[in-house]
Amino acid sequence: MRFQLAVAALLLSGAALARADDLTVPLAVHDGGFAPAQIKTPTGAKIRLDVTNQTAAAIEFESFELNRERVVQPGQKVAVYLSGLSPGRYEFFDDFHPERKGVLIVE
Amino acid sequence: MIQTLLIMWRETLEAALIVGILLTYLGRSGERAGVRWVWLGAGAAVAAALASAAASRGAIAMLDPDTQEVLQAAILFVAVGVLSWMIVWMNRNARAIRGELHEKADRALAGGRLVGLATIAFVAVFREGVETVLFLWGVVLERASLAVMPLLVAGIGGGLLAVATAWLFFRGFSFLSLPTFFRVTGVLLVFVAAGLLASGVNKLIALDYLPPIVPQVWNTSWLVRDGSAVGAVLGALMGYRSRPSLLEVLVFVAYFPPMLWALRRRVSSPPSSRAPHTAAPSAA
Repeated sequence: MRFQLAVAALLLSGAALARADDLTVPLAVHDGGFAPAQIKTPTGAKIRLDVTNQTAAAIEFESFELNRERVVQPGQKVAVYLSGLSPGRYEFFDDFHPERKGVLIVE
Repeated sequence: MIQTLLIMWRETLEAALIVGILLTYLGRSGERAGVRWVWLGAGAAVAAALASAAASRGAIAMLDPDTQEVLQAAILFVAVGVLSWMIVWMNRNARAIRGELHEKADRALAGGRLVGLATIAFVAVFREGVETVLFLWGVVLERASLAVMPLLVAGIGGGLLAVATAWLFFRGFSFLSLPTFFRVTGVLLVFVAAGLLASGVNKLIALDYLPPIVPQVWNTSWLVRDGSAVGAVLGALMGYRSRPSLLEVLVFVAYFPPMLWALRRRVSSPPSSRAPHTAAPSAA
């Protein structure tokens, strides 16, 4: 039990430490789509995508390229972490409204 | 409309396939009580999904989004544990059925296993159920007019289509002989469990609680795209993702050796222990 707690504490503190120098990228979801619809980040950065749902219904931030999916309730802000991405284009979309699309460009 | 149908098909498929495996297995091994408990678990999950979506602005909203996500990952890990235990039992059970075909009617499932079956069905349905309810509720919210009806019908149609897909999938299984059938469902469930484990880990990586080690080990999207029908079925059955992180791959692979060991271990013990007193029903 004590061991598990120690491991949990280590993981949490590691996560907390790592958070200090993350590159935070705000990403809003409006009825019309993602804002911004195109994001550029430098290679090697640890990215924290702050996805804010500014619509009246739930959305699901999803990306096959980034291997991420996360439901975001109306008015909520959710952090999605990405690290170690190689240069390239990574498309994402709202799985509940697939016409809303965006792209993350790592260069 | 087609889009709503497709989204609902994908959201419901995983639950339909997992519940389908359990029902097909229990049906063919003659475990009537087990079938009832699976339906009970699935039904309770639908109710719970509706309730939690309805309460999402109240009680659940009290938990911040990250805590909810950690909770979901924890539920997945518990489900993997219960499922692993059930797979080992089902494997032993399958052998007992082969050995005592005529006593099938006498076989009864112990209470703990019934709860185990209901738990797996519950988690499988609840997990996708909450998303499904949120999605459909969004459809209603966004179109505050009569235009919402065809979309709701399309949504429910998508759900039914997923059930039909699962049914067809397992229809194909009915042509297999009983021993082959048990082996195939057993192997499928091991993959399901490994996939659930990897998707729990994926959640923790996205939350930055675990490192991906390498964000993308490979890219098989040229072979099976995530959004395609095949990708959706593989995703539902074994957590297929075209671009997994190294940690997800490691966890997926690491699930197999202990599981195979547990299955093998049972292979050697029952025949010898059952042989002296064949009349006694299996302790399983």
